[in-house]
Amino acid sequence: MRLSLTVSAGVLLFSYSAICADTGAGVAILHEKCLSCHGESSAMSGLVLTTRENLLKGGSRGPAIVPGKAAESLLYKAVSGSGEVLRMPPVGGGLPAADIAVIKEWLDAGAPWSKAAPVTTSQWWAFRRPVRPAVPSGAPNPIDAFLNRKLQTAAIAPSPEADRLTLLRRASYDLLGLPPTKEQIDGFLGDRSPSAWEKVVDNLLASPRYGEKWGRHWLDLARYGDTAGFEQDPYLLIAWRYRDYVIKSFNDDKPYDLFTKEQIAGDELYPNDPQAKSGTGFYRVGTNRDMLFKVEDVNLVEKRMDMVDTTGSVFLGMTVGCARCHDHKFDPVPQKDYYRMQAIFQPAVGERVFLDYNPARNYDISENSRSFRLYQLGEQAAKINSKYSDDLKAKKMAALPADVAAAIGTAEDKRTLEQARIVLDNANKIRVSGREISDAMSKEDKDRLDSIAQRLLQMFTGYGPPPMAPGIVDIGRDAPKTFIAIRGNPEAFGDEVQPGFLTALGGGDVPEAPLHAQTTYRRKALAEWIASPDNPLFARVMVNRIWQFHFGSGLLKTPSDFGTRAGLPSNPELLDWLATEFISKGWSMKAMHKLIMTSAAYQRVPTANAAALAKDPANDLLSHFNRRRLEAEEIRDASLQVSGELNLKIGGYPAVPPLTREEMFGMIGSPANNWSVSPDPSEHVRRTIYTLQRRTFQQPMAQAFDGPDGILSCPRRNESTTAPQSLSLLNSGFTMDRARALANKIASPADAWASIYGRAPSQEEMGEAQKFLDRQITLTGSKTKALAELVRGLLNTNEFLYVD
Amino acid sequence: MTRRELLARSSCGFGLAALAGIVEGAEANSLLPKPAPLPAKAKSVIYLHMHGGVSHVDTFDPKPELTKHTGKPLSAELAKIIKTSFIHDPAKAILRGSPWEFRPGGQSGLPVSDLYPNLRDVADDLVVLRGCYSDQFDHAPAIYLRHTGNQLPGRPCLGSWITYGLGTENQNLPAFVVMSDGSTKSGPPAYSSGFLPAVYQGTIFRSGESPILYLKNPEGVSSDSQRATLDFISTMDRMQERTRPDDSTLEARISSYELAYRMQSSAPEAVDITKETETTKKLYGIGEEFTDDFGRKCLLARRLVERGVRFVELISGTNVGQDWDDAHTDLTGSHARMTKKTDKPIAGLIRDLKSRGMLDSTLIVWGGEFGRTPLSQGDNGRDHHPYGFTSWMAGGGIKGGRALGATDEFGVQASEMRVDAHDLNSTILRLMGMNHRQLTYFYQGRDMRLTDVKGDGEFSAQLLA
Repeated sequence: MRLSLTVSAGVLLFSYSAICADTGAGVAILHEKCLSCHGESSAMSGLVLTTRENLLKGGSRGPAIVPGKAAESLLYKAVSGSGEVLRMPPVGGGLPAADIAVIKEWLDAGAPWSKAAPVTTSQWWAFRRPVRPAVPSGAPNPIDAFLNRKLQTAAIAPSPEADRLTLLRRASYDLLGLPPTKEQIDGFLGDRSPSAWEKVVDNLLASPRYGEKWGRHWLDLARYGDTAGFEQDPYLLIAWRYRDYVIKSFNDDKPYDLFTKEQIAGDELYPNDPQAKSGTGFYRVGTNRDMLFKVEDVNLVEKRMDMVDTTGSVFLGMTVGCARCHDHKFDPVPQKDYYRMQAIFQPAVGERVFLDYNPARNYDISENSRSFRLYQLGEQAAKINSKYSDDLKAKKMAALPADVAAAIGTAEDKRTLEQARIVLDNANKIRVSGREISDAMSKEDKDRLDSIAQRLLQMFTGYGPPPMAPGIVDIGRDAPKTFIAIRGNPEAFGDEVQPGFLTALGGGDVPEAPLHAQTTYRRKALAEWIASPDNPLFARVMVNRIWQFHFGSGLLKTPSDFGTRAGLPSNPELLDWLATEFISKGWSMKAMHKLIMTSAAYQRVPTANAAALAKDPANDLLSHFNRRRLEAEEIRDASLQVSGELNLKIGGYPAVPPLTREEMFGMIGSPANNWSVSPDPSEHVRRTIYTLQRRTFQQPMAQAFDGPDGILSCPRRNESTTAPQSLSLLNSGFTMDRARALANKIASPADAWASIYGRAPSQEEMGEAQKFLDRQITLTGSKTKALAELVRGLLNTNEFLYVD
Repeated sequence: MTRRELLARSSCGFGLAALAGIVEGAEANSLLPKPAPLPAKAKSVIYLHMHGGVSHVDTFDPKPELTKHTGKPLSAELAKIIKTSFIHDPAKAILRGSPWEFRPGGQSGLPVSDLYPNLRDVADDLVVLRGCYSDQFDHAPAIYLRHTGNQLPGRPCLGSWITYGLGTENQNLPAFVVMSDGSTKSGPPAYSSGFLPAVYQGTIFRSGESPILYLKNPEGVSSDSQRATLDFISTMDRMQERTRPDDSTLEARISSYELAYRMQSSAPEAVDITKETETTKKLYGIGEEFTDDFGRKCLLARRLVERGVRFVELISGTNVGQDWDDAHTDLTGSHARMTKKTDKPIAGLIRDLKSRGMLDSTLIVWGGEFGRTPLSQGDNGRDHHPYGFTSWMAGGGIKGGRALGATDEFGVQASEMRVDAHDLNSTILRLMGMNHRQLTYFYQGRDMRLTDVKGDGEFSAQLLA
């Protein structure tokens, strides 16, 4: 049993449950309740509670425990409040009685602790630089060489290669998130050249649809949303610029190290490149804590936390967030490291990046005069209206009994209980509708309102979003100080810390910025430290993510956690070889896709043989392909593509497709404001990535199919199967509309098969389809309606919903 | 394969598991009922959320000292520790006693104000928790905290955790149902499954023939047509499956359509209250102007729990209509209105459950995201107040007719038996037969739990004693 609770001395932490099993709940309590002040890095009063030896040694007040004798142990006296020592823990009113009893029992039992030798940080595989292993012989693609070796050892024969349509469909969904078109299918099925498959992969990688699919994976990680969250959930008006930046970066095959540097520190590294600077939108597209009311100080801290946590999990696969309150329980991240990293983001503030300098400045200037004129017009319109509404209300009041009129006439905050009740019962009687006002209005006033409307129309014709992107910059060269927050409480200040890097990964300090700098260059230092071939995690984490999105699961199954709880990858040599290959190919993601997709492993059927089922049921060795369900976006986008409706317009501010009242139930605020449907119907059929992503409201179908909520960084989506999914796919207006659209374009079942499955029906299928069609024609009295039912049915089948 | 054959097949062991929505083999993604790991007092929860915040000193926490000090300021020390939303400076605001009288209720004499005459009559079933507190004084984070244990959105809520832990008794209805007045200040993240699989998500229910979204056939599709299309989907899937044997995922998907079909009949049956007696409907205030809406929700809650639904949440109040939070400027009006809408229905629910012998196995939890200031906001308002407020529980085998915990003499701070959201949640879990420390889900490198590292103030023993 391995165990140790500390870190900075280069010792690893192991699982909490393992501790419990081995040494009892007593250690677990110390671990959970005391280490924030008595860990290796904090060591208050010289006392460190991480090993039995340290407890025996004790702190400035002497040994902490007397094994076998709780009553004589300083530790017990402190937690139970018996004796003259300081009561511990000092805040929060002490430990619960049950915990104190457990500690007593544990001490009386001799304070048992594991004897196993600690493992040092440098021994954890993920914290050492990947070393390029030799490629085993026997396969043209090194991926197969590594995988085959394991399969041979396990005596599992790989499954055979899939047929061409299956392969093309798989590749098309994996790279573009869409099914292949008829032209693509015909082209590949007709191409007998040895390089046919390679050409397919190249063509798919060259498609602008590629960035829309892989950009979505990245937006999941970047917890992207178009609104701020919380009670008002207002639009983040320019967040979509970051979305477009991400899509373009993928399409351009921007080297991953550069992509990362731009997002962490584009402003410091490339101050003259607005596109690169807009990468820092990464830190602006999450939930906006500014929305919390009157707790600006806490919000500021929360914002820094989000920056640190997201940077750690996305780029490094480290759950550093755990070290916010105490030394990380499982990974060698002392609390101090967490705040050193937070210090890097301490001077960062939100900024609008001018994508095009002069138009952006002019936008601000015209917005300024526009606002001034709006004040005038708004006031004028209100005056005209209130003239009539006051009058109408007065008339209604006059018709009410005196006590009711008096109650209503009394200011809300001066009413008696009885008056409040009267108002409650009569509120409807004095309401004035817009209709009543308009009926009462004179011709002159109507004309005046019309002319105001005309002027407003002129002001807003052609109005569009500003050429600006969200980003961050430092407030200047001198950063505010950063302090450790005791137990994570932002109002309890501990020691001051200086910016620096994670010690587990080699550590390092951030150099002082030059005297006349306008920024601290802290993020630049961080970006260069992370996005480097020398960083042991950076390349591994990304190749593992790419692998996961091709095979359904990473070589390491916890894509955002490479810490000690993650265990070992299923094929460590392959992961390291891929990481070094990624670096040597200039961090090209497209090269990595091609390498993976041209492997034999990628091209197998999704069916396991008997040996594989028996010996490797989880398919860790990849003897066959992992079938997957379409993602929420893929279902919507593919339905629109097969019905011939998909609008492939790229980029721009969010499209808002119409939803029914039932679908919008529970949305914060009024749908008229918060789900303002795009007036142009062609916007309703755009790819899902371009539709509005509200932080507090998901489109119901996306929600049912495990779509991202944009709240927490999501490295891997769930793939659930539920009845609400079936109900939505079966009965939603969306599916019905697609079914009718396609039904209007086709004449026979064979057409439906070609559009939806990209193949011809078998004879048996044809028979069933014809039978069904006849039945539906009888039921509906219309061939088009019957065809629509056929399409609706096929859009609900497993063949459509799964990628083989 | 015909539908009949499919159903026949589904009644075997495997089919049954598939119906519950299992996917990916061993992954915990099932709604099949699971035995509670510890002795359980309750089988279901009805969670009544008073959206916007209820004034404790006007409902369940009488404060004669506060009434005496009406018009006077708060002490300087107390004023310093409280933050307010709309009261500009707590030190300059004045205390205001309750305009409502408190009277003893039931055999126990538990005091309840005139705002709740009906609940006062069932006071013997209530345990009033007067020592509740929170550290969030904005609605959205306070609602998230109470529901999910975290002030930020994105975590699974209590209802999701409970259905994750226990599954549900009726596979033809959702496990976790939410009924609201529409828009809330928190939005759906308050009843979201967060990082738990979507199968544990709260399902919005409404009254009427289509209680669940997408339950009705599409516009213009007859039920015969619908049935034919469903059978066709199944035929196509079975044909495809022949070349892809042993895939439980595909099998589960096929079954999910049958479940969807059965929901189409079982859900409307569950919400059809025409067969309820007039006496029962009256008990809930159905048919009366103010109580009809919430009365129906409460009756549906009983009907759902009766049919094995694990967790039902009812939300009273909305941010686009009438709400408890209107108390900012109109305490008397808002609280008169909101209690009038909910008092009789909730009391009716307790009585009805009791008379059917269901109260002992159903835990009712009532409360808002925070209380309201004993200080006056303007002349007739009360502001947000998380430092001390009241929730209550009933049913689930707890011994009612008692108040536990207390606030100070002015109702400002929880002073005895202080209970935060985590303590309340760990207690609810315990009454359902689960230890909050052991109900975990591995996510992003950690065994996550509803109460995070808190919740050790679990107090079920005091409720049952």
